[in-house]
Amino acid sequence: MSFVTQRPLELILARNLMSALSTPAFLVDEGGVLVFYNEAAGMMLGKRFEELGTVGADEWGALFGPFDEHGAPIPYDNLPLVSAVRDGRPAHAEYVIHSTDGASHEVEVSAFPILTAHGSQGGIAIFWPTKMNGNGAGPA
Amino acid sequence: MKVKLWGTRGSIPSPGPETIRYGGNTSCVGVTLSDGSLLALDAGTGIRSLGLALGDEPTRLHILLTHLHLDHIQGLVFFAPAFRPQTEIVIWGPASPEASLRDRIARYVSAPLSPVEVRELPCDVSFRHAPDSEWEIGPARIRAASVSHRGPTLGYRIDDGDSSLTYIPDHEPGLGADLERLEEDWISGFALAHETSMLIHDGQYTDAEYPDHVGWGHSPLRDSLAFARRTGAERTVLFHHDPMHSDEFLDRFGAEAKQRWAALGGDPATIELARERAEYELPARAPSPVATA
Repeated sequence: MSFVTQRPLELILARNLMSALSTPAFLVDEGGVLVFYNEAAGMMLGKRFEELGTVGADEWGALFGPFDEHGAPIPYDNLPLVSAVRDGRPAHAEYVIHSTDGASHEVEVSAFPILTAHGSQGGIAIFWPTKMNGNGAGPA
Repeated sequence: MKVKLWGTRGSIPSPGPETIRYGGNTSCVGVTLSDGSLLALDAGTGIRSLGLALGDEPTRLHILLTHLHLDHIQGLVFFAPAFRPQTEIVIWGPASPEASLRDRIARYVSAPLSPVEVRELPCDVSFRHAPDSEWEIGPARIRAASVSHRGPTLGYRIDDGDSSLTYIPDHEPGLGADLERLEEDWISGFALAHETSMLIHDGQYTDAEYPDHVGWGHSPLRDSLAFARRTGAERTVLFHHDPMHSDEFLDRFGAEAKQRWAALGGDPATIELARERAEYELPARAPSPVATA
């Protein structure tokens, strides 16, 4: 008898799609755990997903800030991806993130839940860079 | 557990002298559990022959549908037990947000595509969405999980005693992913096939054919082998042959599969191409199933 656990197919397919995108994209499971981000997101953050691995729901927000236009940290519960998974609704916001090399990036974030016949399986956030400051080499 | 392949072809029935050895009927596998209970995996045109072979028995059976593409349901209205009032048939299949399993099947089992309607079938037939959690049929534990194909599609695992059969006839786990590098919990169908006694898996395309069919829901040989290796299946039967593949073509394809399986470190005797009417017995306690025909 096999007791191996398996990611839901919808997350598998989402990851496969995100792997092929040049737009930074993040994937969380139904518990809010960050289970994948793609190479473009890794370039923006300054760290590849393979280096970081999965990150708990209460930790991944701190990876890259985020901050509002006044430099104030945005509470975890207010992040678009969090509200998308929590409320089952799409969400959109603009904020600033910091990468590991000290660069800051102004981004627009669109997040939406992954809703299936078996309920919510998580969510996807796509970052649309608008400006970059500092010494990073990410997309402007 | 006894397994018999009644239809091994994919897409469309392909009868003729050029397909006589591997078979021209579409997907159907008969499974007899250790207590004699009968399951049919899919109801392609092969289920017609299964029905004829059953005679007047059994009076209760389960049909496990992976999905509702025509090559997996076309034999339903030609399945003789469905036309006997003493027969009870339970049809399991994938849920869909669009309509119930019964209503989706009724699109085929209704005019103008069919001479009979579901409500006219003399047997006692019921339709059930395959649950997320394991369930039991006779002595077997059944699991279903969504797998990578076009539309809602399931793979099945049947555990009876210490033997297990995994059936994933339509599967493209390598779509957008490198199966050799992907973490195992991110591989579609992995949990169903993990260390299974026998894996019946999609083997529709050669590697050369695949680039023209990416996203069609089927695997090239490269990915079928990688999936079998990663999951640790004890024996693999490549299934759902392309209708364009003749017996001669499949002979060469099967030889290539064995050669490449050996190159991956596998025993060539543990991989083969599905042949219509082939039978296997999966003993209660044995490391590998034994081909009996």
